[in-house]
Amino acid sequence: MANITKKVSWSSRADESGAAGEGTPLLNGSEQPRLSRQVRLAWWLTERLTATTPEQSEGGSIFQIGRLSTVDLEEEITSDEVKPELETLFLSHFLDYDNIENQLFLEEERRMSYLGFRCLEISRWVVCGWIGFLTGLIACFIDIAVEELAGFKYQVVKENIEKFTEVGGLSISLLLWAVLNAAIVMVGAIIVAYFEPIAAGSGIPQIKCYLNGIKIPRVVRLKTLVVKVCGVICSVVGGLAVGKEGPMIHSGAVVAAGVSQGRSTSLKKDFKIFEYFRRDTEKRDFVSAGAAAGVSAAFGAPVGGVLFSLEEGASFWNQMLTWRIFFASMISTFTLNFFLSIYHKNTGDLSSPGLINFGRFEGDSVAYNLYEIPLFILMGAIGGLLGALFNILNYWLTIFRIRYVHRPCLQVMEAMLVAAVTATVSFTMIYFSNDCQPLGPEHAEEYPLQLFCADGEYNSMATAFFNTPERSVRSLFHNQAGTYNPLTLGLFTLTYFFLACWTYGLAVSAGVFIPSLLIGAAWGRLFGILLAYITPNSWADPGKYALIGAAAQLGGIVRMTLSLTVIMVEATGNVTYGFPIMLVLMTAKIVGDYIVEGLYDIHIKLQSVPFLHWEAPATSHWLTAREVMSSPVTCLNRIEKVGTIVDTLSNTSTKHNGFPVVVQVLGNEEPAKLCGLILRSQLIVLLKHKVFVELARSRLTHRKLQLKDFRDAYPRFPPIQSIHVSQDERECMMDLTEFMNPTPYTVPQETSLPRVFKLFRALGLRHLVVVDDENRVVGLVTRKDLARYHLGKHGLEELQLAQT
Amino acid sequence: MSPRKDGSFLVLLTLNVFSLGSGDVGAADSALSPVGVDSPSSLPESPELTEYCSELLHTFSQRYEAYVGCLIPAARPVQVCRNCSSGYGDLVKVYANISSDQTGPSNVSCKDSLLGSDRLMVVSALYSNVEGLWKSSKCEKCITKELQGPTNSTLYFMSTVSQTLSCFVKYQQGNHTELCKNCKSTYRGLNELYSGMENNDTLCIDLEDMMNMTRILWSKDFGCSLPREEMVPVIAVSSFMLFLPIIFYLSSFLHSEQKKRKLIHPKRAKSYASLMNIQDKMS
Repeated sequence: MANITKKVSWSSRADESGAAGEGTPLLNGSEQPRLSRQVRLAWWLTERLTATTPEQSEGGSIFQIGRLSTVDLEEEITSDEVKPELETLFLSHFLDYDNIENQLFLEEERRMSYLGFRCLEISRWVVCGWIGFLTGLIACFIDIAVEELAGFKYQVVKENIEKFTEVGGLSISLLLWAVLNAAIVMVGAIIVAYFEPIAAGSGIPQIKCYLNGIKIPRVVRLKTLVVKVCGVICSVVGGLAVGKEGPMIHSGAVVAAGVSQGRSTSLKKDFKIFEYFRRDTEKRDFVSAGAAAGVSAAFGAPVGGVLFSLEEGASFWNQMLTWRIFFASMISTFTLNFFLSIYHKNTGDLSSPGLINFGRFEGDSVAYNLYEIPLFILMGAIGGLLGALFNILNYWLTIFRIRYVHRPCLQVMEAMLVAAVTATVSFTMIYFSNDCQPLGPEHAEEYPLQLFCADGEYNSMATAFFNTPERSVRSLFHNQAGTYNPLTLGLFTLTYFFLACWTYGLAVSAGVFIPSLLIGAAWGRLFGILLAYITPNSWADPGKYALIGAAAQLGGIVRMTLSLTVIMVEATGNVTYGFPIMLVLMTAKIVGDYIVEGLYDIHIKLQSVPFLHWEAPATSHWLTAREVMSSPVTCLNRIEKVGTIVDTLSNTSTKHNGFPVVVQVLGNEEPAKLCGLILRSQLIVLLKHKVFVELARSRLTHRKLQLKDFRDAYPRFPPIQSIHVSQDERECMMDLTEFMNPTPYTVPQETSLPRVFKLFRALGLRHLVVVDDENRVVGLVTRKDLARYHLGKHGLEELQLAQT
Repeated sequence: MSPRKDGSFLVLLTLNVFSLGSGDVGAADSALSPVGVDSPSSLPESPELTEYCSELLHTFSQRYEAYVGCLIPAARPVQVCRNCSSGYGDLVKVYANISSDQTGPSNVSCKDSLLGSDRLMVVSALYSNVEGLWKSSKCEKCITKELQGPTNSTLYFMSTVSQTLSCFVKYQQGNHTELCKNCKSTYRGLNELYSGMENNDTLCIDLEDMMNMTRILWSKDFGCSLPREEMVPVIAVSSFMLFLPIIFYLSSFLHSEQKKRKLIHPKRAKSYASLMNIQDKMS
């Protein structure tokens, strides 16, 4: 049944040609609307088919059961132009960024003195300071742990290689290296795959979704933070082609969400502070501050961090919030800096900000000339192309992983295999490389491997492979011209590109920033070297081109704009390169976007979350709220029977989260007049505290329910099953007047989709009630209703909803 | 041009003219100033060098010449530490006198007059050049504190090097494999000694250069580097490793069951417009 529905809905394009000629008032015969009509038609057919089912025909009941059906995906793939199962959206939960202005809220506001508000403002600053401090500490911890453990590992392997170079048996060193890598990565993969799968990857897509308003379960929990931090240490030490910068953003966000609540639900500890901040709106502000602090700690780029939150995060901004976020970023860089200076035994030297340190570009290499600008643009285009290639490959790989490698044990095995293969490939490259370079005077190479080189020289391939990725980046940026020969760099770029592409998306927590920078730096340096060959005088400093290449590659993969430019400029500590970097990132983005989306957007799409982009899809103005909304809506009366509420909430098939409150419905058929909106979480708290009309009358010493009771339950409201309501209580009544939001946002039926979209995006709405001209509820628009439209190759397309 | 500057220029001009005139007159009747205008230092009111300072300058020049004269022949092969350290010690002493604030017998400090009275600052530029060379050569690591001669460890190292070299000379003729085999133990001993000294930070440029030369002889000229001779096992192991993921992905592709997603059909209001449209078409 469902299969037929779906197939009809997607392949009906062939037989609608007859309908195309007939103009309707909405469609005026131009090409674009014709394409969109296909959607309408397909949609109508779906409606027709589903309308015949018995559940739908009993339209008078308060709630309706959405029909569930299993679709065999194997068949889906074989059906014609339909892309596989990934073209669906998961039914997820959302965050309430809209303030609920109910009577309790108004009362509390009235009670609060002027001083109270000042205290709130101050405590916001205090919270931001703490966020910055703790994020910086975490960054510091990760850095030191990685440095120590990786140092130990490389020392062991190096000694082993040295031993076996002499007596023979280097394949044993290869095995040792592979096994060490695999074992370390196994620890990281096990904690991620078995304990907290949400901690996989860089976490940036997840934070983007969170700030967009999608509630991803467990994304900002303490457990996630612990797993993330340990996981990232394991994956970097395990020698995977990953960086530790992306996870810092997630860690910062978790810290922010934890600190701002003044308690930890995981540890069951409530400090009884910051209770005012226990709601989604406030929490989001702090989470964006945390993300900014994370970026700032990772790259030593406080301004870049603020811009990152701005670009990726919250949709509304005010000056004070930005300023506070900047404060958090600054504190975070400072903290990291300070503690690292203690670790490096020059306490008080605050000049090495950030986990990644690109080192200083000095002297002649800083200069660039007008005639280099076209070269930079060319490099940007190359970066865009390579980035797009990276993203496409990773997209297919991720689809494969979602389909076939979804069991935790398989994921752990995959991660181990990648680690072992990374070691093997690195070893083979080093083994067969003939590129020997004399040891530098100041020993820039941390773990020089001699292998078959002459005494006093080291294997140049080993500086790139036998090192943590960020050290390799630094040596690509700063080693003098002539340190690498072109063949080495070419081979390195090629292998590392595929390794990094293969690694991203494994069940380990790891970022993609450093690998991208490394790939880019390698081919950029290659570009610079080749340029120096063909030009007479050596104005082409390879380090400069390495930097530009790194920026191009990173921009081509992640497609961030302003924030990435500032991050690069801040991380290099060099404003002179601002313009070239900007040019390069722009070109990379234009070229890349022409082919495929950015990596994070691809992963958001593959997670099938209803993510709202900045704008509604183009050509969607003809869709009105009436067509978009869900209808009929499950409404509650202003004074509702407890039994009805419990039944509504415990209906497992719908799981609605917001319920329009209406004035007493007399007849069942007629839609009722809207007077407010109430959330599931509120109803659950009300049921838990048994705020029934009858009880209130009988009990004289009845404590009035306060906003505090709602906050105490936040954010983990108990499920309805855990609330016990006796048979007698089911007959009681509940008065929702005090608790509902009396002024929910509403739109008339004829509002266009982009208008609705704008309301959702700008106000962070979760529910939008559609009313008719007499203020009667006709439907409800939620995020999933909006997010399912997207502009595909054939005009506007609609995605299917699926259950998680 | 401001009038004041103009005026002073005029004054200078007149003074000059006056001194020229007086010189002419003086030359006629007495030999008061034989060098005349060519040497303004001889003017009694000149603020130029005192006797003490010019003496210091002279010493400096002599010692500088001596030191540089020692350095240049010792440039290749590098012997600057062994041969020229005492010369550097002397130079440092003079320069210390020049640059000290202590005044000489005539109560004048030469620091200002010798080091900082003009833009070129020849003395300090030359000295800092030599000082930089000294620092980068790290000679103080292998020369005794008084810069008199090499330390014991340096002497020991040098004797080890000469042992190795004599071994090289001994087997130089004919097949180099013989040399590689026979000198290996001495060479390795030298290497160990060198890395030990590297860790102790008792190396200077002389020793480093000696070691470099020996290493180049050993690895490049005699070709005694380790050969890459176990290609087969390495290739075998690595292709086995590379084969593993292929097996893994194939088996998970063949044996793992796909995840299925349950589709939900949301409730929607009937779209009247399109309903009409279809009905029209059907009728």
